[in-house]
Amino acid sequence: MMNEQRREFIRKAGFGVLAGLGVAAGIVPGYSLEKTVLPAWDEKPVAGKIRWGMLIDTRKCKEGCQQCVAVCHHEHNVPDFGNRKDEVKWIWKSPYEKVFPTATQQFKSKELSERSCLALCNHCAESPCTRACPTEATFKRWDGIVAMDYHRCIGCRFCMAACPYGSRSFNWQDPRTAIKEASTSYPTREQGVVEKCNFCSDRLVKGLQPACVETCPEHALTFGDLNDPKSDIRMLLETNTTMQRKPELGTKPSVFYII
Amino acid sequence: MIEKALKGNRSYWSWIGFLVLVIVSGILAYGRQRWFGLTVTGMGRDVSWGIYIAQFTFLVGVAASAVMVVLPYYLHHQKEFAKTVIIGEFMAVSATLMCLLFILADMGRPDRVLNVLLFPSPHSMVFWDVTVLNGYLVLNLVSAWTVLGAERKGVPAPAWIKPVIYLSIPWAFSIHTVTAFLYAGQPGRHLWLTAVLAPRFLASAFAAGTALLILVSLILKKTTGFDTGKEAREKLVVLMIYAGLANFFLIGTEFFTAFYSNVPAHRHTLQYLYFGLEGHSQLVPFMWFSLVCGLGALGVLMTPKLKQSTLWLAAASAAMVLSIWIDKGVGLIIGGFVPSPLEEIVEYSPTVTEISITLGIWAIGILLLTLLLKVFVAVKREHAQ
Amino acid sequence: MMKIKKQSVIFGGLILVLFAIGAFFLHQESHAGNPMPAPPLKTVAIDSTKCIAPTEYMRANHMRVLNEWRNSSVREGNRIHLAPNGSKFQKSLNTCLGCHGSNRLFCFNCHMYANVKPKCWNCHLSPMETP
Repeated sequence: MMNEQRREFIRKAGFGVLAGLGVAAGIVPGYSLEKTVLPAWDEKPVAGKIRWGMLIDTRKCKEGCQQCVAVCHHEHNVPDFGNRKDEVKWIWKSPYEKVFPTATQQFKSKELSERSCLALCNHCAESPCTRACPTEATFKRWDGIVAMDYHRCIGCRFCMAACPYGSRSFNWQDPRTAIKEASTSYPTREQGVVEKCNFCSDRLVKGLQPACVETCPEHALTFGDLNDPKSDIRMLLETNTTMQRKPELGTKPSVFYII
Repeated sequence: MIEKALKGNRSYWSWIGFLVLVIVSGILAYGRQRWFGLTVTGMGRDVSWGIYIAQFTFLVGVAASAVMVVLPYYLHHQKEFAKTVIIGEFMAVSATLMCLLFILADMGRPDRVLNVLLFPSPHSMVFWDVTVLNGYLVLNLVSAWTVLGAERKGVPAPAWIKPVIYLSIPWAFSIHTVTAFLYAGQPGRHLWLTAVLAPRFLASAFAAGTALLILVSLILKKTTGFDTGKEAREKLVVLMIYAGLANFFLIGTEFFTAFYSNVPAHRHTLQYLYFGLEGHSQLVPFMWFSLVCGLGALGVLMTPKLKQSTLWLAAASAAMVLSIWIDKGVGLIIGGFVPSPLEEIVEYSPTVTEISITLGIWAIGILLLTLLLKVFVAVKREHAQ
Repeated sequence: MMKIKKQSVIFGGLILVLFAIGAFFLHQESHAGNPMPAPPLKTVAIDSTKCIAPTEYMRANHMRVLNEWRNSSVREGNRIHLAPNGSKFQKSLNTCLGCHGSNRLFCFNCHMYANVKPKCWNCHLSPMETP
């Protein structure tokens, strides 16, 4: 019934204790799939009303801290192959000059030259990836999130060529073999599809903040509705000088940075 | 008519056998790729397209072989091309077939390929490219097969074929333009983000298409004794020279804009390709070899004395094909990904599996072309008797 | 010997269950001080005593229902299924498995018998894989 790879996944995931044994099936109920409750909104959402956005205060982000990355990747079952070629990542840290290659680079302070910044999908308002996708497998949601429909993706990787931020990863091989500790809160992906940050749409629907925002011990990340002038994120944008990645490309990212 | 492909001498069948062998090894390699995923290729997160898409891009250009003879023959009544037209069209048919196979080979989920048609997305250039390529394949196959069929029966071609042939002329321009738009519309890839990409695709396609057509006609003459005529080849050479000059001129303008404006993003990839960037120079020898081959070919073709020699003509045509194959395949597609959006340099080289699949698809295309040309030559012979 | 092994498996499983429940509550606890900015949370527990449609209908059409649910919830954000009797369900595979997952073999037995191989479990956790 289950092939070897699948068994391997279950074993690695630590689920194997019971799953391998049919006898136990009737005895212990399948409680662990989260019971669904009615979501945070109960009508069909109005397109364009909300635009989710994120503000990252790079000054607060601690050098060497990888907590948000670890939590995000665990929660969303992002595989770790341990090599650059097959790498899949939703959120990661890169040096300042890599994240902002078109920003001022001359005569930077020593501290800024050494600073790492978080990079993730920008959920652009004018997203080149959704324009390039031939099947609308990646598409602009009603709430500004650039979403992936993994059921529809044909794996042509056009969105990867189109994304100016390197935010997209392809499943060059079966991701299930490289998930060390599986999470039950989000499905895995299949070999041959593209994936990326989903702004935690899986958590938003339950009324929760994105995992990275919630996890950050320094509270460096703020998440909220960019269309709501009273939201925390808009207040912060009002009172701080902020930057977007490669604004000259006209993609209108929804992720902002305080440098 | 197809039965004519089943009669041939020993060397014909050994050639077919050889191609089938290459195809089988390609299919085996593809099986491996399907099983283990595209991780068996040299592609990765940073260079996410490789030789499959490179071959696709080059072969769209080869399909120009048809329009380069159809246009002068049907619109300008250049009778010299009478024997070449169908060869050009058949070459376009096999080139477009290979294009489609290369796209399929590159896909992570080829089982879902029909999604492109089930969820048509006019905002995506891929949708248009699939449409124009399939259309071009059908247009050329129908025109060539119908005209050849009429010739075999010794009757004039039916009147309805004329509009089909005329339609194939603007259609040919559309396949190069739309293919260039696949790349030229991506905001983050500065090597591609240039308005001259479409004209460059047209120029390089017309140069490579005619060069390959000359090569095929020479091979046909050598293997079957069927000669398309020296005049036809001479006219093709003229077309190749102009197209080649336009191509290198356009490449030159890219250099000017990038290096005179001195905008780093515009400069970086050209620097990487032709001079090496931050110690990475894997493709530099290829790019210079491409330039030398292409310009050398033009030099030979523009020397009246050398042009007369079949050997020089064949060598120059082959050099032109090679030059554009490197420029469009290796340089343009792979180079487009270097440096990455985060200004990092990751180099790419194809794996054995990838190369086997690539050769397999080429063999499928060449096999189809062989069969089609076999029928063509047989009909021509029959008619001549 | 066999029996001991089986018992330890069951006990191991039970401990895992308790642990999971504990972790769930702890998890909930830790979120208490971090409310979602907007929109307000209006969660209502679902009625899991009945199915969204009669058994006969579901037997023949569950794949269509799931397809429809998937498209309208993922792509349009239309996450509520309104049953003819007025009760509401969230359009989610987990809504189904909330009840049907209690029999781990519910999906598999029938699919095996009918020799169909749905691809759901390539990504989604199946009842077979949960503790």
